[in-house]
Amino acid sequence: MALLSIKGVTVKFSGLTALSDVSFDIEPGRVHAVIGPNGAGKSTLFNVITGYISMTEGEVWFEGQKLNGLRPHTIACRGMRRTFQNGGIFAEMTVLENVLTGLAQVTASSIAGLAVGMPAAYRAEMAAMRRACDLMRLMGISELADRPAKDLSSGQQRLVEITRALATEARLLLLDEPAVGLSVQDRENLMAVLRKLAARGVALLLVEHSIDLVMAISDRIVVLNHGQVIADGEPAEIRTHDAVLEAYLGRN
Amino acid sequence: MLFQLVLSGIAQGSIYALVALGMTILFRATTIVNFGHGEFFMLGAFLVYVLLHVVGLPFLPAALLAIVLMFLLGMGLERGLFRPMGESAPHISLAMMTVAFSFLFRGIARLFWGREVYPMPSVFSYPPIEVAGLIVTSQDLIIAGTTLLLVLLFFVFFRYTRLGRLAQATSQTARGASLVGINVPLVHGGMWGTAAAIGAIAGILVAPITLLYPDMGGQILIRSFAAMTLGGFGHLGGAVVGGLLMGVMEQLAGGYISTALIDIFAFLVIIVVLLVKPSGLFGRREAAHV
Amino acid sequence: MSELTEVTRQQARPGVRLQRCAVAALLALALLLVPLVTNDYTQYVVNSILVYALAAVGFNVVLGYLGQLAFANAAFFGIGAYTVALLMHYAALPFPLALGGSAVTGALVGLVVGLPALRLKGYYLAIVTLVFGELMRWAYVHGGDITKGSGGLPVPEAAMFGVVADTDKAKYYVILAVVAAVIWSTNRILRSRVGRAFVAIRENELACASLGISPGRYKVIAFVWSGLVVAVAGGLFAILLGRISPESFNLHQLLLHFAIVMIGGIGSLVGSIMGAVLLTAAPEILRNFPGLEEIIFSLLLIAVLLFLPRGLAGLAARLVPALKERLYRE
Repeated sequence: MALLSIKGVTVKFSGLTALSDVSFDIEPGRVHAVIGPNGAGKSTLFNVITGYISMTEGEVWFEGQKLNGLRPHTIACRGMRRTFQNGGIFAEMTVLENVLTGLAQVTASSIAGLAVGMPAAYRAEMAAMRRACDLMRLMGISELADRPAKDLSSGQQRLVEITRALATEARLLLLDEPAVGLSVQDRENLMAVLRKLAARGVALLLVEHSIDLVMAISDRIVVLNHGQVIADGEPAEIRTHDAVLEAYLGRN
Repeated sequence: MLFQLVLSGIAQGSIYALVALGMTILFRATTIVNFGHGEFFMLGAFLVYVLLHVVGLPFLPAALLAIVLMFLLGMGLERGLFRPMGESAPHISLAMMTVAFSFLFRGIARLFWGREVYPMPSVFSYPPIEVAGLIVTSQDLIIAGTTLLLVLLFFVFFRYTRLGRLAQATSQTARGASLVGINVPLVHGGMWGTAAAIGAIAGILVAPITLLYPDMGGQILIRSFAAMTLGGFGHLGGAVVGGLLMGVMEQLAGGYISTALIDIFAFLVIIVVLLVKPSGLFGRREAAHV
Repeated sequence: MSELTEVTRQQARPGVRLQRCAVAALLALALLLVPLVTNDYTQYVVNSILVYALAAVGFNVVLGYLGQLAFANAAFFGIGAYTVALLMHYAALPFPLALGGSAVTGALVGLVVGLPALRLKGYYLAIVTLVFGELMRWAYVHGGDITKGSGGLPVPEAAMFGVVADTDKAKYYVILAVVAAVIWSTNRILRSRVGRAFVAIRENELACASLGISPGRYKVIAFVWSGLVVAVAGGLFAILLGRISPESFNLHQLLLHFAIVMIGGIGSLVGSIMGAVLLTAAPEILRNFPGLEEIIFSLLLIAVLLFLPRGLAGLAARLVPALKERLYRE
């Protein structure tokens, strides 16, 4: 069964049709990408899937359950997490605190327990701390733990954001332009990290402008133009697809 | 009785309209919500008192001088407190700064005028006019008339003069305006000065018939917020209409239901409007929150 | 080492734990011995400092950690004070129960204020909460025979464990115990997933939702806790003064709390305590000059807004780097 199923999603606002009858599936543990020229509707698609915008028509199914109408935080609790294009990290917090916040959903300390000083609350916080440290080690950012997030480079911040999103072992990670503005070195690091994630069985859905990166790591690519799906297939197919070339290069 | 209440409501409402207008002009120009605006009102009143009784000027020169001084004070505030905070200061900090100077002016007023309350002898001693069985005091006429004049003046200024359109452009996009060569800080300074001057005018108009005390700004602030909320926050015409409505409704509620209601009428208006239709009468329907 | 996780990290290292215990013990001893060095008047000032510190801490939860401009503090403070006064006066409840009552009313009112906070944009919330405070004050004035209007409501002496706290020194121990306990609780909540959620909402609400954190839920929690803490402070205020009147809970009171939080250091618990010490001790000196207190506080506030965004706590953190982790991360 498909992990994520987009069926006939249409999004219209203020007379504008941002997405029109978009449908595709995402398989568990595979890397999918959505590409398309500017204004194709990629961000809108992301926001619809993750519950930040409501769709005019269509359905989104995740692990056999319909997501329509659910709030973003509810969707996030179900095993789908996302990152943001213009920096979703918490700038004033340290890296460790950022990652710990990612664990909020599974940190079992109750407010009453915290207020009264019950050992159970303290143990829950310690458990979260240990998990955060493990995660940071896995993603190779342990030395950054106590640095304020605002002091990090873009590449490091992206890594922190991905680590944070992974904290609760999401089955699907949606990454919104993870490579934008990164140096060549950072881009290489990012690709290595993404491959590592895929190897661990995390399904990835990327929105990306960088065709090279997408071609290099995707198992399947969906191409959007003017809010519609114009191609859906493996990288090799997409590379030579007529409609795709036309969309990107224009009519010659 | 109904019409009498409405008349006095219009006069009272004119004051609210003026103060709300000043706050809205400032808000539109700088996106700052000025929690210290009531203090412009208070200072205007106290300044004219000092100029009249301590310096001994006649009323009109005193009033004009007070207005000019307040205009300069407004510009000074922009220059000294708000410009250093920069364009990208979070709104919460800007609002906090307005709270800070509000505190400051109250303290200064309290220092000079202690904890007492000051009456001002009546300045306009013309007898009241009777029209169709209704009594209109000269004060009411002057207040309403001045307000009408000022509102028209500002309408004309913003719509039809070059300076006014410049100010509008700046409030829409500060960066765009500076790219085109407009001196944005100066325009902001002018807006602050204007807002302070209008607030002061309201204080001056009301001073002859009110008791002056250092905390008088607080009451007018809340009523002004009520006017802006009712009319639609950020809408210039809405602020004026909201102010007038507030004045009239307050008098009617006080006359027909209970005088104790007058004090809290503004509170109820704010709460009800924000719960039912946050955009007020004329405001655009924006998403209240994410 | 960072503020929001410091407690749990530190606990892991035994040597440090011992050190912290020793410091805490010394501090506790010093606090317990304070009445030996004060006279009645200075004791009153110390008591006031404690009460205002607690009120500021409660305010800081919403203003500093959650980052919402909400001016409900005078309302919470007043409600707590009147709850204690009314319960002790009319229901003859003993002080601990009355104080518990004010905690409950504070929490409930926090809920009432927190719910609109979900729907209202920044400055609307500030206006509504300001208005709410004034509405409550009107209620106290017009509460007829119950609240005794502007004349003021006398507050019976607090009695705990059979001992009546009728002197300022006796009141000190009651106030100290409550303030210490509530600040400690607040600290534990802030240095946990709850506190991190507050800061996260302040930083980036959209990102919070993507992590499964419901911004609405945590905002309400913040307001409820803030209401509870400030109401308890109000209850202590009632005991401190022995008589409360509506005038004590006006805009001036709100501005005072605001100044304490901002000057002490927004978002820093220790800062709120420092702010309370500075701003509460000062008025006693300035009492003869009306308005001077406001002028000095507002100038300090302006200075903080322009030059010292982290307030006294930030200043201390810069001067004594070793304390940095306890005060603020920079």
